Amino acid sequence: MRKMFRLAKREYLAAVKTKGFIIMLVLMPVLMGGSAIAMYLFRGQVDTTDKRVVVLDRSGIVTDMLLKAAEERNASAIYDKETRKKVQPAYILEVSEPDEKNPQAQRFELSERIRRGELHAFLEIGPNVLRPKGEQVTFRIKYHAKNAAVDNIRNWLNNTINPYLRKLRLTDAGVDVSKADEIMTWLQVEAMGLISVDEETGEIQEARRTSELEAFLVPAVLFFLMFMMVMMGAMPLLQTTMEEKTQRIAEVLLGCLKPHEFMAGKVLGGLGVSLTGASFYMIGGVFFLRRIGLVDFIPFHMIPWFFAFLVLEIVMLGSLLAALGSACNDPKDAQNLTFPAMFPVFFPMFIFMPILQEPTSGLATWLSLFPLFTPMLMLLRKATPVGIPAWQPWIGLIGVFIFTGLAIWAGGRIFRVGILMQGGAPKLSKIIRWIIRG
Amino acid sequence: MNVVEIENITKTFGPVTAVDDLSLNVPKGCIYGFIGPNGSGKTTTLRMIMNIFYPDSGMIRIFGKEMLEASSSRIGYLPEERGMYKKMKVRDLLQFYGELKSSRKVNAEVDYWLDKLELSEWANKKIETLSKGMGQKVQFIATVVSKPELIILDEPFTGLDPVNVEAIKDAVLDLRSQGATVLFSTHDMNVAEKMCDFIFMIFKGRKVLDGTLISIQGKYGSDTLRIRTEGGISALQNLDGVEKITDFGQLQELRLHPDNDHQKILSEIMSRTRVYSFDLAKPTLYDIFLRIAGPEAKEDADA
Repeated sequence: MRKMFRLAKREYLAAVKTKGFIIMLVLMPVLMGGSAIAMYLFRGQVDTTDKRVVVLDRSGIVTDMLLKAAEERNASAIYDKETRKKVQPAYILEVSEPDEKNPQAQRFELSERIRRGELHAFLEIGPNVLRPKGEQVTFRIKYHAKNAAVDNIRNWLNNTINPYLRKLRLTDAGVDVSKADEIMTWLQVEAMGLISVDEETGEIQEARRTSELEAFLVPAVLFFLMFMMVMMGAMPLLQTTMEEKTQRIAEVLLGCLKPHEFMAGKVLGGLGVSLTGASFYMIGGVFFLRRIGLVDFIPFHMIPWFFAFLVLEIVMLGSLLAALGSACNDPKDAQNLTFPAMFPVFFPMFIFMPILQEPTSGLATWLSLFPLFTPMLMLLRKATPVGIPAWQPWIGLIGVFIFTGLAIWAGGRIFRVGILMQGGAPKLSKIIRWIIRG
Repeated sequence: MNVVEIENITKTFGPVTAVDDLSLNVPKGCIYGFIGPNGSGKTTTLRMIMNIFYPDSGMIRIFGKEMLEASSSRIGYLPEERGMYKKMKVRDLLQFYGELKSSRKVNAEVDYWLDKLELSEWANKKIETLSKGMGQKVQFIATVVSKPELIILDEPFTGLDPVNVEAIKDAVLDLRSQGATVLFSTHDMNVAEKMCDFIFMIFKGRKVLDGTLISIQGKYGSDTLRIRTEGGISALQNLDGVEKITDFGQLQELRLHPDNDHQKILSEIMSRTRVYSFDLAKPTLYDIFLRIAGPEAKEDADA
């Protein structure tokens, strides 16, 4: 036992006492939530160069309003209120007469101006935008630019033109225009939790307002955190075991401890790495959410479940990965086995969204009770605000516990033979034979 | 008392019988040399003693007990192919292996051995920076740092220069003098002759020699004539009663047929050429090895 812990200590220190581990800890969330973080970091990085847009208004009713709206925006919204520094580009609208004889030539000429950098975009407003009936082509509003789909000006035009046209339509319908805002008011259907009773006071509590943060982010963060920890703690076992075998370190170690102690020591070291990483993120996450006042969204009740499933997941997969690593004779063998070996974590990734949307569906329930997928899928289901029957996580936990025992047993038998076996690719039939015969 | 007792062990790998009905006793406090050609079963036998491989049949007892418990902390094992974590520092690695074996701190022993094998300056260097010879010495220290009573060394001298061979040899002899039993395999017959109290030869999985050097040589008698003549090899051709001539250039070695008169052969040579020196001797271990495992033996077997 002591030897096993000594080996685990070496494995652990070899992994965490490296710059790579520290970089990995920082980079993992960056890789996972890269675009969100990048958007946050670059939120202030706006191109403030004025944007010139040509307006071709075939309706004849939008231009004046647009010019006025742009003027108002350029006067106030593009400057920081405190520093008066320009933080947004001004929208310079240039009104042109639509060429009804040869509209394509006019469009081409404007496009060429955009290509030359003289213009940012041009806007075509159809003649029937006020009464959008009949042929669609007559009431389309088209925005032409180099990157029109993700252009902020297009959003501004959308949010400026449509409310204006609605007001005009209401006026035409005889509605008092002063009541237009009230009529147009959009009321959001709020997502609320269930009413509960305070256990201490016995009083019925107000339902809490739920949000995307709770419905999506909490399960997603826990799910992806477990994925990251498996990648950090269990996945390297395939490679390191193969290296210890090919570099003949395994034989030296087998002169010091029994094969199952050897494997257990490696798995334990990997588990330590995962727990270190998970604790780092958990503590960091709680600290961060407290700082920004979102402590209510921390799912404290999920933390024990997270660690229980994480421990079993690492031990279960770690045993199998170390065993498979022991069957490999070169890096190519290990590479070939990587995807099948990681299937228990990749598959839950594939079905993450359907399970998140329908956590109580039959498929979600059965898949989450399959031991290889239980840690990730049961955790995901349990973390959703929907709530799953209380017995399911417990049954899942027991199932994984038993399966982990089997994985250790089978892994130990594969490891014992594989670690000293040279030559020949690790075929499934061979591995099964090692499990049966030992 | 025997430290290692092997009774009729057999080990097969698929259709290949690596070790065939082998028995061996290793007394306490001796140096026991394993010799044999490549692939003869030396390493497999050593691995079975270490309980890394399990024999298909037969029994192995270590320190009088059946070797059911793998990797006793009383045994130090140096495998044929060295296995060290390249990124670890020398001292860290030795402490790790020592603690893994003995379950205690071995800092003092590590310092002692590093000093003894002149590696103190390299203690804080990574393994990957060491030369092959230094790496071998580090691996040797890793084997003995936990003060094992039985030391099993698989080819400990391979790849070492003469200076390092002497250093390891001295260390092994020191360990023996401190009461350790040393069991090592080697291809260097010279080392085996000089160091080993007992020599064991395995060939095609079977034991073919086992005993002291004197007892082994005794089986072959004084059938070797080493002679230096003016005529050299050309003067020694077609001599009656000579089974084989080995030419070393300045010296020739003649293996004599046991039934022939040595004096008569010597007289015949003297009649052909001037003899500078001669010596009637027992065959060397090298020669015995070749007689058993060399091409000549293969020809005999084929015949």
